[in-house]
Amino acid sequence: MTRGWIRKLIGGLSFGSALFIFQACYGTPQDLQFDMLVEGTVKSSATGLPVKGIKVSVPETGSSHITGEDGKYGLWTMFTDSTRISFEDTDLTTDGAFLKKDTLIAIPQERVQLNVMLTPK
Amino acid sequence: MFKALRKPAFRLFRESETHLHELNYLFWECTTRCNLHCRHCGSDCSQDSAFPDMPLEDFLAALDTIEKPAKNLTVVLTGGEPLLRKDLEKCGLEIRKRGLRWSMVTNGHLYDGERHGSLLGAGLGALTISLDGLSGSHNWLRQSSASYDRVTMAIALAAASPRLNFDVVTCVNQNNIHELPQIRETLMNLGVKAWRLFTIIPIGRAKDIPELRLTDAQFTGLMEFIAEARKSEELKVSFSCEGYVGPYESLVRDTPFFCRAGINIGSILIDGSISACPNIDRSFAQGNIYRDNFYKVWQLRFEPFRNRHWMRRGQCAGCSEFKDCRGNGFHNWHGDKQNVLVCHSRLTSNRQETPREIKLSGALGVIPTPPDRSTMRSLLTR
Repeated sequence: MTRGWIRKLIGGLSFGSALFIFQACYGTPQDLQFDMLVEGTVKSSATGLPVKGIKVSVPETGSSHITGEDGKYGLWTMFTDSTRISFEDTDLTTDGAFLKKDTLIAIPQERVQLNVMLTPK
Repeated sequence: MFKALRKPAFRLFRESETHLHELNYLFWECTTRCNLHCRHCGSDCSQDSAFPDMPLEDFLAALDTIEKPAKNLTVVLTGGEPLLRKDLEKCGLEIRKRGLRWSMVTNGHLYDGERHGSLLGAGLGALTISLDGLSGSHNWLRQSSASYDRVTMAIALAAASPRLNFDVVTCVNQNNIHELPQIRETLMNLGVKAWRLFTIIPIGRAKDIPELRLTDAQFTGLMEFIAEARKSEELKVSFSCEGYVGPYESLVRDTPFFCRAGINIGSILIDGSISACPNIDRSFAQGNIYRDNFYKVWQLRFEPFRNRHWMRRGQCAGCSEFKDCRGNGFHNWHGDKQNVLVCHSRLTSNRQETPREIKLSGALGVIPTPPDRSTMRSLLTR
């Protein structure tokens, strides 16, 4: 704890907080943005079974994930006041075809559980 | 008075950071396969790698040895070309599951809209893409006629993402140094906000191609270009932390030179070796994840990185700037390690001794006159 304060004091005296945000010469910038994880399961409203091959995405940022055999997904996206999540069938033949569905996350949290039922076409 | 305190305070800060050696930045050389065969590759990567990709499970086992990871610990996926790994998204999700951030260095060749989306979804937070010139000089360095078109598309995609902390890096050499103002324009048109400039040190394939190295006059010209470009806020331009640049220290970067290799930066290399930045001589490896506990190695070894007095040899032996430079970037100590490969500070002070007329016969033809500091300034302000 004390060492942390000494570190910040000396760093602040010399060049401020920029000293703690660095990148290796052949590396990337550091990621300091606050984001959130949206996760859940996609199921068929007709059978109640998980649906694979559904593209879960945030149209505004392009962030996406395709559901696996168990219909599960986990999608990282920006932490914003409201986030539109889109569910779209990308392999229309495997489990049958489903209607596209959009939903809105209006109360952002670090982790959001979002289970969705899709209607067959 | 505050200014006068800064230098000694910074030295104290550097000592304190070295003593604490908190791991903030971990490179993972996840593959040494590459889809390009760049002339300057320090890792000597190619399409037929001698090593198989490191299995994700092996890397995670090493990562899980870290007790109480630092809050901002970032895993930086590098190669080779990381995008050749089909399980990259799975790698990213597993890293995020552990509460860590991850980022990637790529040549951009395979970075398309679909991969952009899936990588963001897997929690990618920062990205660096290389652009090494305008079309001709970039493709010459990358030895691919398609590379420029593909990388500029990748850059446009990444630059448009509000999620990514993104920058472009350029390895400045004799074939692209004249193009810096136009490259800057191109990047601004693509929406890029940050641009880092490097020079190429003579390791890997680069050691056999002399035109990849800048002359002293060109290096000074580069410093002048960066210093001038930093006056504009449209695109944040900086010199990488590859070396200590003496009189240009406060002009080309946000903070003074501090090589954090082995102090805050570690790596797990393709064969399991535990080291610092991947471009550091492999003989400096401190252990191997297949034999050792990664975090114990990080905590208890790394002496050559944390105590750099051994670097007081060769041209560093009697140098008055050693207290600020500390032997330059660690990756400048290769081979028999009896002398530093490049002294960036001396490059700027030797400028007058360098012949101004240097003929170069690269793929782009003969470049008659290397730019000096006034040329670089005028090119930028034109």
